[in-house]
Amino acid sequence: MTKSGLAVVGIAEVPTRRDPERTRWDILLDVCMGAINDAGIDKNLIGAVISNNPMAQPSMQNDMSLGKIPEVMGLKGCRDIAICNAGGASTTNCLRLAEQHIASGQVDFVLIPHTTVQSDMPPQDLINFFATAPLDKQFEYPYGVSFNGSMGLITQRYMYETGATEEELASVTVALRAWGALDPLSIFYGKTVTLEDVMNSRMISTPLKAKECNLLADGGGAMVVTSWEKAKAFGDKAVYKLGHGTRFMSATPMLREDVFHRQSYRESSQDALAQAGLSIHDMDLRQIYGAYPYTQCSALEGYGVCEDGQGAKLWAEGRCGPGGDLPCTTMGDATGRGHTGSGVSMAFYLDTIRQLRGEAGERQVKNCEHAILTTSGGSVMNTCTTVFGRAPR
Amino acid sequence: MSEYKKPLPEIQPYSQPFWDGTRENKLLVQHCNACDTNIFYPRRDCPECWSQDLGWIEASGRAIVYTYSVTYEGVEEKFVEDLPIILAWIDLPEGIRMHTNLVECEPEDVRIGMEVEVVYRPVTEEITLPFFRPVSTS
Ligand SMILES: [Zn+2]
Repeated sequence: MTKSGLAVVGIAEVPTRRDPERTRWDILLDVCMGAINDAGIDKNLIGAVISNNPMAQPSMQNDMSLGKIPEVMGLKGCRDIAICNAGGASTTNCLRLAEQHIASGQVDFVLIPHTTVQSDMPPQDLINFFATAPLDKQFEYPYGVSFNGSMGLITQRYMYETGATEEELASVTVALRAWGALDPLSIFYGKTVTLEDVMNSRMISTPLKAKECNLLADGGGAMVVTSWEKAKAFGDKAVYKLGHGTRFMSATPMLREDVFHRQSYRESSQDALAQAGLSIHDMDLRQIYGAYPYTQCSALEGYGVCEDGQGAKLWAEGRCGPGGDLPCTTMGDATGRGHTGSGVSMAFYLDTIRQLRGEAGERQVKNCEHAILTTSGGSVMNTCTTVFGRAPR
Repeated sequence: MSEYKKPLPEIQPYSQPFWDGTRENKLLVQHCNACDTNIFYPRRDCPECWSQDLGWIEASGRAIVYTYSVTYEGVEEKFVEDLPIILAWIDLPEGIRMHTNLVECEPEDVRIGMEVEVVYRPVTEEITLPFFRPVSTS
């Protein structure tokens, strides 16, 4: 039996910025048309549109759920539309649903778009959204917890158990910002930070400092996906999904036994790598969407790149940032790119595809053949790990 | 009692006894009579065995700090007057972990592993929130 699967053949993205003049629909149309043009296919070959849910934007959510995209764009071959919402992991689920359409043989190409504008929302509303949507409204929210506070709790325990220092964790942000500084799509393009900058930034929720917390921004991206067979005609443009694994932990952070998600990273990556027939040591790039520095450490531990508790050391030694021998998270994570709600995961997939195509500019990982990518939703309720490669296996 | 502007817990029918308990200065933990599990947060059905034969046990009110975080900014306006807020996850000997605030102590005095005890603060006629403070060693 020949294996088959999903391949990405077209991508487009707008720069992450705070710019209320740039509307949600402007971003959406630019990235949808951009991805279809990048693939070089006729728009009417798009057989389905599976959208990433635009969190906290109810009007846009209605438009995208209820079919406005194929109608506005005149996608005459579109047979089905849907929206996927798993918070930050939404794009992962868009890909999985698209895979089902492709596997049916009834649809050749699926369009997966995302758009987010947060710069037109009052900051208080955004704090409220991130404090209530992924946290418990009965037993957490009345205690003045913010999303940063919730992640501060986990980070403090991570330091206690592993002995990682505040400086070592701050080095994660230095590296993520260094990647972002090299990326024209980052809100921090050209803006590196030093260890002192991170350590001296305002304390938000101990041990997390301002530069370690996320700047909410606007952005959007889109992918066109097809089958492995059809992707062959697209040559080097095609990037192949080789394996996937997911683990769910809990909705509410305080109930999570796997506090640092280490076991969840371990099991989801083992599933994905087994499906791909590859080992973690075959990966040229590790992309981790956790939005807070400790995840960049515990994921490397879960993947088996290092021993449990040693992740922060790898970052502090400069091995994961630009020029390091273990390049990680060239996308910059939300810390180094700007946080676009559920769209951070879209930006992660697009950056991974650029790396595998050899189109990552100054951030390009040399000879990037295989990459592993983990996204998470909610308050890190899950880890969704995917292996991509330049060729089908 | 002056008007309380901060968010109140969204109470569900099956968690009402917990909040009736705190009003009477009792910390109640939901208990499954079928499989002997202590449950937090309260549910309609036991998450282990789906039994609806659920009761309540009274906790000792003591706990150990599993982790904490001192928040200095980035909260909603209604919480600003409380800053800095000491968030904590605490482990009860009854086998459950709760989210709370540590009170009656300074941020620099908080340690992971320190022993704390419940203190009840009525915030409205109906609602008393359980907070925790260090157990005095004197
Ligand atoms: Zn039970």
